[in-house]
Amino acid sequence: MGAFGKNKENPLQYVRIKPAEKSHIKIKDRNTCLDNCENKPCTYYCPARVYSWSGEKQAIMVDYSRCMECGACPWGCPYNNIYWEFPPGGYGVHYEI
Amino acid sequence: MGHDRYDVIIVGAGPAGSTAAKICAESNLSVALIEKGEYPGSKNMFGGSVFRAALEEIIPDFLEKAPIERKVIREVLFFMEADSVVEIGFTSYKFAQPPYNTFTVIRSRFDRWLAGMAEEAGAHLMNSTLVEDLIYKKEGPFSGRKVAGVILEDGRKIYSDLVILAEGAMASLARKAGLRKKYSADLFTLYVKELIALPEEVINARFNLEKGEGMNIGMVGYPTAGAIGKGGIWVNKDTISIIVGAYLNQLTKNGLNPYQLLSRLKEHPAIKPLIQGGKTVQYMSKIIPKGGYNNIPELYDDGIIITGDGGMLVSGRHGTDAAMLSGKYAAETAIQAKTSGDFSKKTLSAYEGKINNSFFFNNLKVNRRAAGYYKKYPDADFLISKILNEITYEFFKEGMQTQEEKLQMMLEKLKQIQPLTKSAKDFYNAALNWRFY
Repeated sequence: MGAFGKNKENPLQYVRIKPAEKSHIKIKDRNTCLDNCENKPCTYYCPARVYSWSGEKQAIMVDYSRCMECGACPWGCPYNNIYWEFPPGGYGVHYEI
Repeated sequence: MGHDRYDVIIVGAGPAGSTAAKICAESNLSVALIEKGEYPGSKNMFGGSVFRAALEEIIPDFLEKAPIERKVIREVLFFMEADSVVEIGFTSYKFAQPPYNTFTVIRSRFDRWLAGMAEEAGAHLMNSTLVEDLIYKKEGPFSGRKVAGVILEDGRKIYSDLVILAEGAMASLARKAGLRKKYSADLFTLYVKELIALPEEVINARFNLEKGEGMNIGMVGYPTAGAIGKGGIWVNKDTISIIVGAYLNQLTKNGLNPYQLLSRLKEHPAIKPLIQGGKTVQYMSKIIPKGGYNNIPELYDDGIIITGDGGMLVSGRHGTDAAMLSGKYAAETAIQAKTSGDFSKKTLSAYEGKINNSFFFNNLKVNRRAAGYYKKYPDADFLISKILNEITYEFFKEGMQTQEEKLQMMLEKLKQIQPLTKSAKDFYNAALNWRFY
């Protein structure tokens, strides 16, 4: 993880994120991703690539430490299957400029 | 330090929240301004620029105080294809003189400054603090419940007569309060942005600007690869903001990755020379509520008012100033309510009256139809860009045809793209929609 598809550059190197201890993101039902969701759009519309599909685990992997809190994922998921809340106060993304 | 009771609690120290806090505090209301970020603006992003009129209403001497990057003197629109651009631009040297027009800013600096103004006025700013929920109080046997404060993430309760929500696009507390509808992907655009650092003089030379002068380029067509959305460049003092974004439902449907779109835009032959040699210093992203008139939530209830993005109060490129004005209206309503000692829904309805009279609300109302057209024909902007580029190409391409043959050729090109009546409709609806740009 890290590379953004064809582009070799990882833009997250330009973002300061202070991840909290616990994840602020959850997949509500793993089976929905496996059985119903063909395209798994969260793996491409998320600008931080928080979501990736693990062929081995047959599940969406969530790397909450990458999250820039843009707010897209809960609405972009076609099955309303992403639970997202803000990280605790003072944690998460921090834009310096 | 902190108290457990204020006249007004404001959730979120963005443009709406800090404006509300400043005005309330100036009228001697006790104000808690609660921000989840390490400092105000540390999680915020926009294009972008701020506009004079709203700022001046809230801070008359903002020109001397605000952290302004540059004064915008030029607005350009790029209709882009992969290998050509039709440019429409306007430069006013009047905009280079007081009172100026619009200003490029960087949110981490601007929001922090504005919250500082609220603090100076007496508001109590609490950073790194997340509000978890609202507190309700049962008023009486025959009346409903009233919002009476907030619960922080550590369980601490803070009470107030009024809670002003300025929580941004996610509107989590508005949902908990039952004041907004369910959201879906078609109500939001998703934007990504890079800040690219270049020496000030290099920027001035590349963009044909004098010191202190700025510009904005809006881009349609190529940048969004067929989805409804825009690209954009804003020229700051020693950085360039470059953004691209589109409706979230179209990004998901078309399989588009916003960062890929941005990388692709940076490689476009019209964009690449502008940012060449620059160093990316920040990558960021944010959704913008674009639900329009039909998706504005209930903006008030007993003891609570919703402002800014959380109220879907974004019209065209009026988001930040709409937020600031809604914060002002909320504050004025709070001050009235404090005077009468009544924070009921009935008293707070004055807020809705002020919103209904605002230019941004009326724009949202009028723009309902054009928004519908874009839902039906999501490729309208893309086609317009294509048509303009192909026709302009034929117009400028030199050959051996007669004038008559050339015109015939242009007409044929036009017909090849789509029926003329559809093109006419696209242009008409684009004009309707772009009025609110």
